[in-house]
Amino acid sequence: MTPGGMAGSHYAHMQPAGTPPARTSTDAPVALLARIAQGDREAFGRFYDAFAGLALGLIRRILRDPAASEEVLQEVFWQIWLEAGRYDARRGSPESWVVMRAKTRAIDRLRAIRRREKTFVASVDEAVTRSSEAPGENPGVAVETKRLVRSALDSLPEPQRRVVELAFFEGLTQSEIASRLGEPLGTVKTRARLGLERLKNILGRA
Amino acid sequence: MNRDEIAELAAGYALGALDAEDRARFEALLAAGDAEATAALRDFEGALTGLAAETAETPPPAVKAALMARIDAQGGSREAVVQTLSSVKPDRSRRSAWTLVLSGAMAAGIAAIAVGLVVSAAYDRRLSQLAQEAAALKQEAERQQSVIALLRDPATQVVALSGLEPAPGAKARMLWHATAGGLLVAQGLPPAPEGKAYELWAIAGKGAPQPAGVFTVDAKGVGGLRVAPIEAAGAVDTFAVTLEPAAGVPAPTGAMYLAGKL
Repeated sequence: MTPGGMAGSHYAHMQPAGTPPARTSTDAPVALLARIAQGDREAFGRFYDAFAGLALGLIRRILRDPAASEEVLQEVFWQIWLEAGRYDARRGSPESWVVMRAKTRAIDRLRAIRRREKTFVASVDEAVTRSSEAPGENPGVAVETKRLVRSALDSLPEPQRRVVELAFFEGLTQSEIASRLGEPLGTVKTRARLGLERLKNILGRA
Repeated sequence: MNRDEIAELAAGYALGALDAEDRARFEALLAAGDAEATAALRDFEGALTGLAAETAETPPPAVKAALMARIDAQGGSREAVVQTLSSVKPDRSRRSAWTLVLSGAMAAGIAAIAVGLVVSAAYDRRLSQLAQEAAALKQEAERQQSVIALLRDPATQVVALSGLEPAPGAKARMLWHATAGGLLVAQGLPPAPEGKAYELWAIAGKGAPQPAGVFTVDAKGVGGLRVAPIEAAGAVDTFAVTLEPAAGVPAPTGAMYLAGKL
């Protein structure tokens, strides 16, 4: 089962909290991480299979370039191999752990690229952002058509969606967003909080 | 700090968008075990994970193959990393020099550093752990509560101290509250010589340095200090650490190891 096979429902990954995984307990992601921390290569392979697609999609959304994205994907999972013992279940699910690490790494790479190119990512409106992700822009990579399906972000009021996108996918700090949008910092902070609270209610996974 | 203010920090943190002081404050809250902060962060990261699921794609097989080959090159297990590194070919001799001087228990941690963790990320995590350890040093529950209260108070400021010439790699963070005092957490300091200790000074503007307590560091170079409020004419805005006789002195005499300003 790969994430790409879920064309029918882009929320199919999500199970309500408490749904038992259809696997033995030693294959549950938390157990896999414990095994990886012991150096279990097979557990790592399964963990990769479960979450690499999720990580790559996010990395590529941030970096756009397929080659750079694959490099970052490899770095992320290599660090997971080395640091599986640091996973703390109180802080969230293994899936969130992977996604947040992938996002941090991708944003670090994006910032390094920006510094090198001395360019500042131009503010884009929603149409430009989405069109650059359409199939055909990156012919070498199979982009799942899910991207054109309604995103949970669409459910956010525009001001909140803007803040979440600028922060999460472009790596801007709240101060930078406030500058970019010409809004007070406090407004940006409130929109970030409201936006994530709404996403939490829509997507409802922990 | 009320629930909305914590949620605001948690949202910014989950998005990776907090500015430096807010990030330091929130990480300290997490390290101190604040339940609301932890829960809010978990929920927001979960929401963003759900968002990421919308764009999941199939990775090319080459990435997994490269990872598995890299694991196999290690000998297939992380415990083998140390043995592998210590028997490496000459072009990796820099890494083998690290492992040769270490016992097996420490080598795994150093091996992780040797394979290229971003130093600042590791330091930030460690410093967050330090805040937790410094709090844990005090056994009384009420003292732990007062640390959390300090962290949750929006009037608490975070001051970063940098290492000076005697210990350029040393760093510290001071959580400072004008009326409640504060918490200092330091890392990277050499052990104080026999009969000496590190002393913290609080300075208000151009006023004389006020003694704020003495501390020592453990074998890992880590030390913490709970600081009582300072009677000073004017607001304290600068902190410094010098090496002094172990009982502390009323005015600084020794070399300055750390300093920082609001």
